[in-house]
Amino acid sequence: MDKKWDMLPSSNEDREKIWAKNRTFAGDVWFRFRHKPTAIGGLVMIVILLLFAFLGPLFTNYSYSTQKLAAVNIPPIMKVYERPDGEGYLHITQGLKLLEVNEDGTLGAQLEKVREESADSMTIYECGGEEVALYYGGSPYVVADPESGVIYPSKTLWNKSYILGTDSLGRDILTRLMYGTRISLMVAFVAAAVNMVIGILFGGIAGYAGGTVDAVMMRIVDIISTIPLTLYVILIMVFLGSGLQSIIIALGTVYWVDMARVVRGQVLSLKAQEFVLAAKTIGSSTKTILFQHLIPNAMGAILVTVTMLIPSAIFMEAFLGYLGIGLQPPLASLGTMCNDASETLRSCPHQLLFPALVICLIMFSFNFVGDGLRDALDPKLKK
Amino acid sequence: MVRYFIKRLGMMIVALFLIMLLTFTIMHAVPGGPFTNDRKVSPEVEAALNAKYNLDKPLPEQFLGYLKGILHGDLGPSFKYIGKEVSDFIKDGFPVSAKLGVVTLIFVLLAAMPMGILAAVKNGRWQDMMMMGVATIGVTIPSFVIASILIYIFSFQLNILPTYGLDSWKGYILPVIALGGYSVSYIARLMRSSLLEVMGQDYIRTARAKGLTETKVIVKHGLRNALIPIITVLGPTVAGLLTGSFVTEKIFAIPGLGSYFVTSVTHRDYMTIMGVTIFYATFLMVMTLAVDMFYCLIDPRIKYE
Repeated sequence: MDKKWDMLPSSNEDREKIWAKNRTFAGDVWFRFRHKPTAIGGLVMIVILLLFAFLGPLFTNYSYSTQKLAAVNIPPIMKVYERPDGEGYLHITQGLKLLEVNEDGTLGAQLEKVREESADSMTIYECGGEEVALYYGGSPYVVADPESGVIYPSKTLWNKSYILGTDSLGRDILTRLMYGTRISLMVAFVAAAVNMVIGILFGGIAGYAGGTVDAVMMRIVDIISTIPLTLYVILIMVFLGSGLQSIIIALGTVYWVDMARVVRGQVLSLKAQEFVLAAKTIGSSTKTILFQHLIPNAMGAILVTVTMLIPSAIFMEAFLGYLGIGLQPPLASLGTMCNDASETLRSCPHQLLFPALVICLIMFSFNFVGDGLRDALDPKLKK
Repeated sequence: MVRYFIKRLGMMIVALFLIMLLTFTIMHAVPGGPFTNDRKVSPEVEAALNAKYNLDKPLPEQFLGYLKGILHGDLGPSFKYIGKEVSDFIKDGFPVSAKLGVVTLIFVLLAAMPMGILAAVKNGRWQDMMMMGVATIGVTIPSFVIASILIYIFSFQLNILPTYGLDSWKGYILPVIALGGYSVSYIARLMRSSLLEVMGQDYIRTARAKGLTETKVIVKHGLRNALIPIITVLGPTVAGLLTGSFVTEKIFAIPGLGSYFVTSVTHRDYMTIMGVTIFYATFLMVMTLAVDMFYCLIDPRIKYE
């Protein structure tokens, strides 16, 4: 006889056991975050930008302040003319000089000027024992043979010495972009961290203490939030003078108001819950309740506010840089790079394009990550 | 409502006083007086200058004098441009900025609302995707980048619009787009989400059940309620347009208050910085208060304690 119809031995433990794999809250959040393409794309982009900003400078041959006045305003894709001796090319710089370009696209020395022939709108340069003429009578300017007036064949070539070209002082844009991204990100992260600490302390204390303390503290927040922050930041910058610390102080002391409101709201609703009562009954101190029980529970909302704060700090830094009250040259930030580039916009649009592109990438990434994080932490809020 | 208004007004006055105190302290804590120039001035001349501008009196007295001046509409003399008053800058610059601001605000509303409405009505379809794509770009790209790209395309390459000045209607096009780009995107997104929320309400179903046409449902029943959040952000939008004009006026060389302010910041013309900051702050606060009060009037459901 088989025992097919017999009852299986069972115990109450089996009944209570949860068979599905247990997932933590963090695991849940990560699961939801991972399944949103824009959020994960933004995260990957931020990692790439961080690598670019912090490891990139190790791989370039230039520093952010090395100036090379012979190679000013060189675009990333150059128009070059063949040399008469066939050994490489010549590029007409915007200062109307001739620059040697090697076969592989790296830049050489500037040619020696022999004489000026104003009557024919030509400048004669010496190139490997022969004379070449830079003819500037028509547009575009061309390199030609001085005797016969035959224009040398031209082509476009990638700039291998300066992959993204140079700026108006002959500095490598790629290197400056790395340092600029680093400074912009650093300003944003530090400002966000400072804001987070001030906001958590202020909001946490106001929310937990309640009553008169709360009323007074929130009145202060109300008054501060009526002050236009841009003006306040500019005032602080005027007071402290331009520089990295000033920007961080200015941004760090301004944007905590929203954070304080968010934390206060969370603490207010959390402190009425049973686990706080339980903590109180076992005699936990206020500090323990606030920092061990309340703040960790409010962390989701805090994180979302911080990720949304970072882009606005970057925006503000770029804004200050663009107005010319940000960093001292030769330090670069994305905003100051845009500001420098706007003066040569007509002739060298590439100088503006790259920093602007990086700003947009940073903004997009942090906005996407912030959105993704909000949806992942609280699916109810999902639009 | 009256009590709320008085409370807000009181808070505004406190905030304004704080701003004045803060600006005053900051400006007097800055190393170097207003007459520290490249040119050396003899001590007698400096003393005379200090006496003329009341700089030899104790600080509290100076502050009181300054406050008194503000109440009479006198913001003091510019320290860099001899013979110019700070209020002259405001008189010269503000009308220009205000004109640009009003045109931009009209543009923002005219562009953003149809965008948002279209996106909400065609929710989930390609029109929605396109509108929201444009809006996301507008929120993430800084105005100076938008302005530079526009100048490069329309002024340098196509040569159809001027790069600076507001002499003709053509001059307005680029600054208005650059200045309003962010607000258009922001309001369009807000319009979309608010209209979507309203369209899910029961009374919309009732209106449809009555047999009203879809246009009538959207315009008469949906829009009227969906517009309320738009009005709340009008105050901050005006503030954004004003402070955004620092950059826009600089790029397009528009002689507005924003460009005066930026020049005074770079030239460290303390009296002008102080005066213009206080003017801006007052203007912004009054605008925000006015919008909030208006908001309270149009929506009877909102009750302020």
